[in-house]
Amino acid sequence: MSYEAIAIFMFISMMLMLLTGQRVFAAIGVVASLAALLLWGESAVEMPFNAAFKLFNWYPLLTLPLFIYMGYILSESGIADDLYGMFHVWMGGLKGGLAVGTILLMVVISAMNGLSVAGMAIGATIALPEMLKRGYDKIMITGVIQAGSSLGILVPPSVVLVLYGMIARQPVSQLWLAGAIPGLMMAAMFIIYIVVRCHFQPHLGPTVAKAERDMPMREKLKLLRAGITPFLIFFFMTGLFIMGVTSLVESSAVGATAATVAALVKRRLNRKVMEETIRKTLAISCMFMWVILAALGFGAVFDGIGAARAIESLFITNWNLTPWEVLIMMQLSYLVMGMFLDDTAMLVIVAPLYVPLVKLLGFDPIWYGVLYTITCQIAYMTPPFGYNLFLMRAMAPPEISLMDIYRSIVPFVMVMTLALVLVMVFPQIAMWLPEYVRPK
Amino acid sequence: MPRFIVSYVKVIDYLSEKFGRLAMYLIFVMIGVLLLDAVTRNIINIPLSWCIEMAQFTITAYYIVGGPYSMQLDSHVRMDLLYSRFSLKNRARLDCFTALFLVIYLVCLLIGAISSTMYAIEYDQHKFSQWNPSMVPIKLIMVFGIALMLLQSISIFFKDLAKARGTELS
Repeated sequence: MSYEAIAIFMFISMMLMLLTGQRVFAAIGVVASLAALLLWGESAVEMPFNAAFKLFNWYPLLTLPLFIYMGYILSESGIADDLYGMFHVWMGGLKGGLAVGTILLMVVISAMNGLSVAGMAIGATIALPEMLKRGYDKIMITGVIQAGSSLGILVPPSVVLVLYGMIARQPVSQLWLAGAIPGLMMAAMFIIYIVVRCHFQPHLGPTVAKAERDMPMREKLKLLRAGITPFLIFFFMTGLFIMGVTSLVESSAVGATAATVAALVKRRLNRKVMEETIRKTLAISCMFMWVILAALGFGAVFDGIGAARAIESLFITNWNLTPWEVLIMMQLSYLVMGMFLDDTAMLVIVAPLYVPLVKLLGFDPIWYGVLYTITCQIAYMTPPFGYNLFLMRAMAPPEISLMDIYRSIVPFVMVMTLALVLVMVFPQIAMWLPEYVRPK
Repeated sequence: MPRFIVSYVKVIDYLSEKFGRLAMYLIFVMIGVLLLDAVTRNIINIPLSWCIEMAQFTITAYYIVGGPYSMQLDSHVRMDLLYSRFSLKNRARLDCFTALFLVIYLVCLLIGAISSTMYAIEYDQHKFSQWNPSMVPIKLIMVFGIALMLLQSISIFFKDLAKARGTELS
C-alpha cells in the first residue's frame, strides 16, 4: 500500500470510529495504536505513550486549565453584570443598541479569557433575558450572543491559538497579536450589520425607553467604573505578557489570580462556587488533554509515514492545484468538517496534516493561524455540531426553539465568512501588528 | 450481575473519585508555582528555574490522575451525530462494543508507561535541565493514573452492560 493510501485509510477509519459515538479520545487513540502496531510491529507499542512526553514538553499547554478556571470564576464574579449595566445605559438610545452593547461586552470578556464558553454563559444569563424583556427579536438575540461569544477565541488571549501554536511550532505572542485586529474588525462588522439591519427594521431592536436610560451625566460617568476591573485584569494578564514582563504561562496564572481576587472583592466566592469551579475545570481540562494526548499519538504515526508530503504530492502533482487553490480547499474542508466535529478534535486531527502543508506551500503559518481560528469560530456555530449551538440550546429559555437558533446564525456566519475572505485577500490585517511589534 | 462485579464497580468508582478529587486541587499548585516564578524573577530578581518544570509535572499528574474521575463525570466529548438519536438503552449497547477501542488504547498506553518507567528506574533517568529532577516519580504517577483509567473504563463497561440488559448497577 502506498503512503497516501495508508494516510487516507487511517483517516477514514478514524472517522468511522468517531461516528460510533465512542469518546473522541478513545476513537483517535485506538486508530493510532493499531496503525503503529500494524506498520512497525511490537516495538511501536510505546508510541501512544510517548505522545504524553511531547505534551509534557509543550509547556504553553499549562494555560489551558488556567483559562478554563478563570472563565468559570469570571462568569461567577459579577464583573459582567456591571459591564452590561454600563452598556445598557450608554447604548440604549440607539436602535439595536442593546445588541451592539452585547457585542462590546463580548469583546471585553474575550480580552480577559481565551475560550468562548465564558462569553456564552455570560451572554445567555445576563444579556439574553434583558433583550427579550425589551422586545428584541429572539432570532436577532441568539445570533448576537453566539457570534459575539465566538470572538473569545480570536481576540487575545486565545486558547485556540495556543493549541495552534503548539502544533505549528509558532510563537504564541505573535499569534495573539495577529488575532487582535481581525478580532476587532469582526466585532465592528457585527456592529455595522446590527445597526444597518435595525435601522431598516426597527422592530428587531427597539430603543430602550427614555425613562430608563435618562440619568444625570454624573451617574452615567460613574457607570464607566465597571470597565476598571476588566481593564486591570487585561493589563495584568495580556499587557504584562506582551511587554515581556511575564511569560505566557505566568500571565495565565496572573489572570487566574486576578479574576479570583475580583470575585473575592465582590463577595461572590463561597465554598459552593469554588467547588463547582474546580470540578468543572478538572472535567473540561481532562477532556481536552486526553483528546490532545490521543491526537498527538495519531500525529506521530502520521509523521512517521510522511503523510504531509504524501498529501502534498496528491494535491499538487496529481490534482494539479495551485497553492491558493489548495489553501481554499483546506478552508472549505475545515468548514465542512467543522459542522460535524468538535473544533479541538479538528485542530489536533487535521492541523498536523495541514500546517506542514501550509509551510511547504510557502504561506506564513502565523497568518494561517488567524484564518484557522476564524474558521473555527464559524465551525462553533454551524449545525449539527457546534459548541455554541449546544450551549445556546441548553441555556436559552423554552420560547427559543432549535430552528430559531439555526436561523439566527445565518447572517452572522455570512459576516464571518466575509471577514475570513478579507483576511485571506489582505494578509496585512492580521500581520501588521505582529510585524510592527516583532523584535528586530 | 454477579456480586464480585458489583463490588468491583463500587471499589473502582470510589478510588477514581477520591484520587480525582485530590488531583482537582492541583490547579492551585499550578497557579501557585507560576505566580512564585513571576514574582521572584521580577520583584526580587531571583529566577527560579524549577518552577515551570514543577508546573509541567503538576499538569501531567492533574490530567492523568484526574482522567478516571472525568470519565465518571461523563465529560468526554463524543461525536454524537448519530449517537444522540439512539435511545439510552441502544447507546449503552453500542458503548459495550466500542468500549473495546477504549480498552485497546489504554492497554497500549499502559504497556508504554510501564516499559518507560522500567527504563527510567534502571538507568536512573533525570530530566535534562538545570534543576535536573528524577523522572521516576512522575512516571510512576502516570502508570498509576493510566492503570486507574483502564480499571475505570472496565467499570463503565459493566455499567453499560447492565443498562443494555435493562438493569442498573450501583
